[in-house]
Amino acid sequence: MALHTPDSAQAGNATPADIGAPLLDAHSLSLRHASDAGVADISLSLQRGDIVGLLGLNGAGKSTTLRLLCGALVPDAGSVQVNGYSMSDNPLQARAQIGYLPDQPPLYDDMRVNEYLTLTGRIRGLDRANTARRLSCIIDQCALGDVRRKIIGTLSKGFRQRIGLAQALIHEPAVVLLDEPANGLDPQQMEGMRQLISDIGRNQTIIFSTHLLAEVKATCNRVAIIHSGRLVADRPCSGDDLETVFQEATS
Amino acid sequence: MIGIIARHEGASLLRSMQVWIIMALLAGLFGFQFLKQLEVFLSVQARLALQDHPVGLTGFMSVRYLEPLALAFTLAAPLFAMRSFSDEFRHQTYALWQSSPVSAVSLTLGKFLGVYTVLLLSVILAIGMLGIMQLMTPIDWPLLLSAGLGLSLCTAACTACGIYFSSLTRHSLIAIVASLALLFISWMLGSAGGDTLPLQGLTDLSIATHLHGFFQGYVQTRNIAFFALMTALFLGLTIIRLDSLRQKGQP
Repeated sequence: MALHTPDSAQAGNATPADIGAPLLDAHSLSLRHASDAGVADISLSLQRGDIVGLLGLNGAGKSTTLRLLCGALVPDAGSVQVNGYSMSDNPLQARAQIGYLPDQPPLYDDMRVNEYLTLTGRIRGLDRANTARRLSCIIDQCALGDVRRKIIGTLSKGFRQRIGLAQALIHEPAVVLLDEPANGLDPQQMEGMRQLISDIGRNQTIIFSTHLLAEVKATCNRVAIIHSGRLVADRPCSGDDLETVFQEATS
Repeated sequence: MIGIIARHEGASLLRSMQVWIIMALLAGLFGFQFLKQLEVFLSVQARLALQDHPVGLTGFMSVRYLEPLALAFTLAAPLFAMRSFSDEFRHQTYALWQSSPVSAVSLTLGKFLGVYTVLLLSVILAIGMLGIMQLMTPIDWPLLLSAGLGLSLCTAACTACGIYFSSLTRHSLIAIVASLALLFISWMLGSAGGDTLPLQGLTDLSIATHLHGFFQGYVQTRNIAFFALMTALFLGLTIIRLDSLRQKGQP
């Protein structure tokens, strides 16, 4: 994939490498006409190291927001910039900066784990050598060593979730978007997922949606609450009063 | 990128048992039709030799063996192409492509080339059966290559049609029925033709009309253009459809 100068750099503004420039900048995102739940006027600005828990009731618009942020949906209004690339002007470069795990991992059941992860690395723009290097790293990181040659369709839900996470991380994206990553994991696997999110959150920005307040408390340094398609709270995650904040925001 | 997607699509087809069953049925049909027509040729060979311009083995087999196979490829192409997008929508793997730095053009061309390459294996098998007769008798290679070109172009157009209908729905069966109905109508238009101008116009839209010359050794630009335009039209419609999915969400 050809290297492109980020839009902000072209415009003479600060580059994403500069301290303080947001890795993900979403401004007034709205979507009304999609089959998904609508969202209105969602704005988020995330720095490197932010781990954001996206909370909300069922149908609040969490998944739609994540799909707008990763470029899978085009908003009716508003803009998204990822690591300096505009999603509307440079969609391919912007999407290359993102790793996305949907609520149902996009897995091909007839492929082997290593074949699938190689494919996902290649379509995210990694060359052969880098894909091979990242494949062994990500397999270690997501504890997939024992199943790397197995057919995906034969694996348990926990493994499938980890493979989904691995495909989102294989190209070392600047921004990682995870839709309900703890779905189907047992308590031990959830602990492993928390640890993994904390590790990758040191150098990358992560947003993950969840219903579980405990997940957010344990992992996130920031919480955003969506209710009826609107962002009703965006604040540091202090932990103790999260239940109260959530109740107030969604009541 | 197109090559990566094409390899993935081709490999995915070759992992499917359905595809191997269809290919086996096609191979059986080729063998049966080939032997049957060869036997007919041997029985009328002496009478053919008395004509002013006697038809040779290649000319006879091109019209009696290869031309009917075009209909078989018209039926097989949508069956091979049905998985392209319908399965992605149904298994929710399309999110992988939507969130990756892959354009609708690359995705469409990659999937088309993957499916088409697998179908070309069957075309080569059909042509090869006749070509192997070179071991026993001289073969009219230009005529055989002309017939091969006709089969390949017809298969490309039918594959593109199948891929387009596959992009419209998550139900493979609907995609197959719709594309077969359209292709069947296109075949039938040839026999609806008459001398009056409107009916003559319909005949010009017929696959059969444009295909016939190839099997007689006539490679005409208008016939090549017809199949090239038909292929480009359906691929173009598929690209527009994929772009619209970013506005509307998945089917």
